[in-house]
Amino acid sequence: MTEEVWMGYLVDHCTNYTVVQSPFVLGEERVFGADSDATTLSVAAILHRLQHDAIASVAVPDGIDADTVSTACNVHVWDEESEAGPEWDLLLSEEAIIVLARPGADVEISVMDIAVEVDRPFNEAILTAWEMELNTLHVSQGAYVSQAQYVEAASPRLSLSGQIGANGPVWPPRYSAHGPVNGNGVHKLTPNGHVLSWTTLSAAGSPSEFSLRAPLLGGVSTVLLELTDGPNGVFLIVDDEEPELSMDAPMELVVRRIYAQEGFIRYGLKARPMSA
Amino acid sequence: MLALVAWVMVDVAVVGAGQTRYGNHALGLKGMWAEAARSAFSSIDGDFDVKSVDEAYIGSLAFGGAQLGNTAALLTEHSDMEGVPVRRVENACASSGFAFRDAWMAIKSGQADIVVAGGIEKMNDLTPERRRYWLGVSGDTEWERLAGLTFPGTYALMARRYFHEFDASHDDLVHVSVKNHLHGSLNPLAHIQKEVSFEKAASGFMVADPLTLYDCCPTSDGASCVVLAADHVAKRMTDTPVWVRGSGAASDHLALHDRPSITQLKATQTAGRKAYEMANLKPRDIDIAEVHDCFTIAEVLATEDLGFAERGHGGRFAREGQGVINQGSVAVNASGGLKSKGHPLGATGTGQVVEVFKQLRGQVESQRQVKDAEVGLTHNVGGSGATCAVHVFGRDRT
Repeated sequence: MTEEVWMGYLVDHCTNYTVVQSPFVLGEERVFGADSDATTLSVAAILHRLQHDAIASVAVPDGIDADTVSTACNVHVWDEESEAGPEWDLLLSEEAIIVLARPGADVEISVMDIAVEVDRPFNEAILTAWEMELNTLHVSQGAYVSQAQYVEAASPRLSLSGQIGANGPVWPPRYSAHGPVNGNGVHKLTPNGHVLSWTTLSAAGSPSEFSLRAPLLGGVSTVLLELTDGPNGVFLIVDDEEPELSMDAPMELVVRRIYAQEGFIRYGLKARPMSA
Repeated sequence: MLALVAWVMVDVAVVGAGQTRYGNHALGLKGMWAEAARSAFSSIDGDFDVKSVDEAYIGSLAFGGAQLGNTAALLTEHSDMEGVPVRRVENACASSGFAFRDAWMAIKSGQADIVVAGGIEKMNDLTPERRRYWLGVSGDTEWERLAGLTFPGTYALMARRYFHEFDASHDDLVHVSVKNHLHGSLNPLAHIQKEVSFEKAASGFMVADPLTLYDCCPTSDGASCVVLAADHVAKRMTDTPVWVRGSGAASDHLALHDRPSITQLKATQTAGRKAYEMANLKPRDIDIAEVHDCFTIAEVLATEDLGFAERGHGGRFAREGQGVINQGSVAVNASGGLKSKGHPLGATGTGQVVEVFKQLRGQVESQRQVKDAEVGLTHNVGGSGATCAVHVFGRDRT
């Protein structure tokens, strides 16, 4: 068994299973960070496992966004109706803990030392804000990205799939009047880079789709990164962390919630310091 | 052949210009536009009949969603221009800069003799939520917006990077703010008509680190309107036309992260170069420049991109007060700029033309008048630099 911090989460890696826990606790209970949920923990679990094993299929239970898991990790989601048993199961917990296990594996959830205590009123306020955002009556008060438009760009947004252009990798993908830019195939970019610039928008100046949570988080922080493979991109900074940023500082990209609208959560890559 | 030569040689003049006061305006869309049009029409001191207008171009981002379709026809209906071919021009904050360019091109093409260009925006009647919605729709929605960026954030990224690359600091931006508040305090049409001290501007509420409240333009209502005419018509409309000596425009990547550099606006550089070349003038020839200072860092970049300061020296240009009226070689934002005069998005471009028109005719308040102003420039930017229109004007035709 090996324990480590992985993508902002605590990972316990064993031969037949991987346990991913949120670092945040409320009393004795593990709770999700401000922009995390079972889906984001599942993505971290699968990406960690993929460092060691190939994954032919994974069973994704209700409560985890299977499309996001599949797109972010490039793994096949097991189809209960048409396929024999899955190679791996994702298992939910009542706490902010996810288990990725081979079917029938004997799983032991160990107690991990890292525990970041969260403020109860803050935690409750964030949960309430997400609940309100997820209400189907919560319609656009922001520049609108439809579900269809989100899905079209899900692969570049969740797994940094880009293109090979004349001068190297291109991301986000582009269209061209001269034919498919993607003629040389999809190119997955390395999910890290270094800081070119950053800012924290006050809650009053934040995009209106973040208006429920920005006051709780002290605003919205965005970083402009030069990705290791070349292109630049702008990313939210992981909400539940307040890193000390500096020019050229290395950062990694991890999957988190971005915002919800009309009953649908938009996930995407957010930045966090490599050393954190 | 002779007809072709005559067509090529058409020169275009601004013969009338006017605007509402910018700010939290009591009037709605129709009333504001009527006021601006009336102001422009009444400024024409010679022969003019509104029924002689051949075409009209009106810039607006969106009116806060109140009248997205057939906007322009509604406005001409309420300014005695029923029947005039009209359309709305939308290029975010550069909407009326491009409306002006379109009007100029209509006359240059020989298809029109008298054309109206204007712009309008109404934002202060919106709830804060709706206002933030409309103020953020002109970036790359899919990538920038989902990364939490509105324009204060986008320009904050540019400012921080600029400080890193060059000998500059937030103090330089404060100098821009103080200057433009000074100029705006002298302008009865400005949204914010009060000076601000360096200390106060330096310690403003943080909007988007490192930009404070005093680095950001206000959300303004307003309308502006100008009348352009072909040379052979202009003569009978006024004895003091202001000639359009050069027009340049360009576009760039919409998203900041797609640009090789975020400390210069390529669209401004290209548009400026084209306008200077057409006018056969150099940056040093400009006496007054109305530049797009939606945020103070934008003015610093504009002074470089338009050639008033060398690259990396825009901060020093501001620090040394080179843009103050009658102090340096060029008065930058003598109106108060977007920072103090205000920024009713769609109205800003032609509002800049109103200022230059009056300055070159010696018709602004005495304390604000740029002495011996012969040549002026307007610089109107859409979003964080995706679109830009630059125009050069002169008291003389060539």
